[in-house]
Order: sequence, then structure tokens, then C-alpha cells
Amino acid sequence: MSAVVLCSRNGALLKQVFALSRAATPREDHLCAAGDALLSCHRSYRSRPTHGIGRYKYLLPKETPKKKKDRVQMKEINTGTEYEYGDINIQMTSYDLCLVEHFAQYVHRLCNRLSVRVNESYAMPTRTNEVLFLEERGSKMQLDAVLTTHQRIVQISGLSSTFAPILLEIIQSNQPEGVHLLMKEHTEADFKSRLKSRPELEELLAQMT
Amino acid sequence: SSWLPQGFPLRGSHWQSSLLELRTSLPVRAQPKKKKKVDVRKEQAQKDRLKKKIKKLEKAAPELIPIEDFITPPQYLDSNRVRSLPALSPEETERRVLLLKRWCLFKQKQDEAEKKAIQTLVESQQEALKELRLESEELYQAAIRRDEGLFPFERDGPKHTPPLPGYDPPEGKCVDITKVYTQ
Repeated sequence: MSAVVLCSRNGALLKQVFALSRAATPREDHLCAAGDALLSCHRSYRSRPTHGIGRYKYLLPKETPKKKKDRVQMKEINTGTEYEYGDINIQMTSYDLCLVEHFAQYVHRLCNRLSVRVNESYAMPTRTNEVLFLEERGSKMQLDAVLTTHQRIVQISGLSSTFAPILLEIIQSNQPEGVHLLMKEHTEADFKSRLKSRPELEELLAQMT
Repeated sequence: SSWLPQGFPLRGSHWQSSLLELRTSLPVRAQPKKKKKVDVRKEQAQKDRLKKKIKKLEKAAPELIPIEDFITPPQYLDSNRVRSLPALSPEETERRVLLLKRWCLFKQKQDEAEKKAIQTLVESQQEALKELRLESEELYQAAIRRDEGLFPFERDGPKHTPPLPGYDPPEGKCVDITKVYTQ
């Protein structure tokens, strides 16, 4: 009788043990979710209402992945009833770096003030020239100076045909001494002149054809 | 076989079409055709290799040429170069500050005059166009059109002095020593 009782008790005990074990896990879970910093708990119970409680990255604005170099160039449609000009490059060239830099900044700010859209404002690579002159008595060429030519480009677009001569007038009147101004339309060749040459690729392409 | 009927002419090989002629047509199953196949395959393999190389090179994005203006030469970064300026007297500083203020005012007046000039220009242009529109629609449309001869526009900056009459420049030449960058 006692054995039966024991067995039944054991059975009951076993059942109770199982029940207790089942009850213990929620207690542990509460312990974890209590925010104990020492316990690193990564369990997320999807059924519970606290699922995903620490998420915040979805609230931040999406960051676009950085592109290394854009090979695509923008070209506006030039025809239209209003007749706007497409991309125009204002190229300023001079031997004096500070002067050309300041003039480029001035032109950029002027375009901003007159609400002309400025696409890009960049510098072209500097060209170095060695000036040699022939000595008066003698046939040897002597080095006179090493001159560096600097060029800055401000690219604008959407210039209306009525406003273009006015803008030209303003830029001309403020053109400093020694700065050569050139305004022309932007072409792919202009874009390619900024890039490094690839002789290997050109060689292989020549071999292909 | 040794038995030959009377009607058939004797031939060295069945590739010879007539007894008297030499071998003119190439035999169909022999070595040269294999050479052709191998050539074609080799050419194809070469072309594929070239294409692969080109693809590999094209994958790398084209780089912009670095601009020397924006790279400070290392000689200006090394030592702690400090410019020793002379001490200014208070009268001198006062004079300079007042001069600066007068210059600022002058420049401000100049800038405002320029802005006003631009505004009047634009307004008068718009008025003129309005009047023209009232006059004739055709002329207005022609005036609105963009000028094709405007760009390219080139102009040299003003010079400090006029050109000297009878100036004989020394003979010489300009050599371009710009560094060529390759990718």
C-alpha cells in the first residue's frame, strides 16, 4: 500500500516536477527581461508582446550606400519653348591661383544669389610650363621661369535665354586682371579630360578591333 | 584489285580527276583541316582572354586626376614655422580698423549698386518683352529664342598696361612638363 502510495506519489511528484520545471522557465525569462545588465540574453520570444522591444534602427532615415565614382553624366534637353541652355561650363584660367580661386567662388555665389542652378564646381588639373628663352649671345636656351596654369570650372544649367546676356555682362564686368574666361557647353570630352588615361585598356581595345 | 575492265583508265589515286593533270584539288580528309580547327580555337581562346582582361580593367571605376593645388607640399607641413610680426602701436591699429570699416562700407555700397543695376536690367528687359509681345507675337517669339552664337564665349581679362609699341620679345619656347597620370 505504501509502495503504491509511493509510486502514485512519485508519479504525482514527477508530474509536479515537470510542472515546476515548466514554471521555472517563465521565471527565468522574467529575470532576463528584467533588464539585468550582467545577464546578456538574446532570446526574443516572438509570441510575447515585448518582442522587438529594443529596435530603433528602423526609425532612422535610410543611408544610401556611398558610390565611389559616377560615370553617368547629366545632359539636359536643350530645346524648349522657353529656350533654356543646357549644361554650360564657365572656365576660368590664370597663372595666379588665389585670384582664380576667389573669382570662381565669386561666380558660384553670384549664381546662387541669382537662383541659377549650379551643377558642379570643380578644378581642372594644373598644367606646368617651363619657359625657356634664347640668350642674347649664344645658342643655349636658358630657363626663365616655371609657370603653373590653374583652371576652375563652374557648371551651370537651366539658364534662360533672356537672362544669359545679363549674367555674361556681370561676369565680364567683374573679371579680374589676368583671368581668362571661357564659357562653353559641357560635352563628354570635357568630362573625360578630367579622368586618368588608361593606356592598357586602350591597347587591349585596339587589339580587339 | 588486279582485275580492271578495259574501259576504265588507270589512275594513281582516286583524288586525281584526270590522268594528265597534277593534283589540283586538296584531299578532303587529311591534316590541313585539323590545323584550321586548332587555329580557330586558338583565336577564340585569345579573343576570350582579351575580353576577360578588358572586362576586368573596365570593372575598376575611372579615377579623377589628382589636383596638385589641393595638396600642400610637405615642406610647409614639417617644421613649426612662425611668422614674427612687428608689434603695432595703438594708433596704427586704430587707423587700420577705421580704414577697414571704411573699405567695408564702400564695398557694401558697390555691391548694393550692382544688385540694383541687375534688378533694373531684368525689369526693363521684361517690360520691353511685354511691349514687344503687344506689338507682334512673331517678333516676341524670335526674341525669346536662345542665341546659338553666344556659346562658346571667350574673353581675356583686362591688362594692367596697354601693349608696348615696338616691343621685341626674346626668342624662346614653352615646354609642357605636366605630370601624366595613368590608371
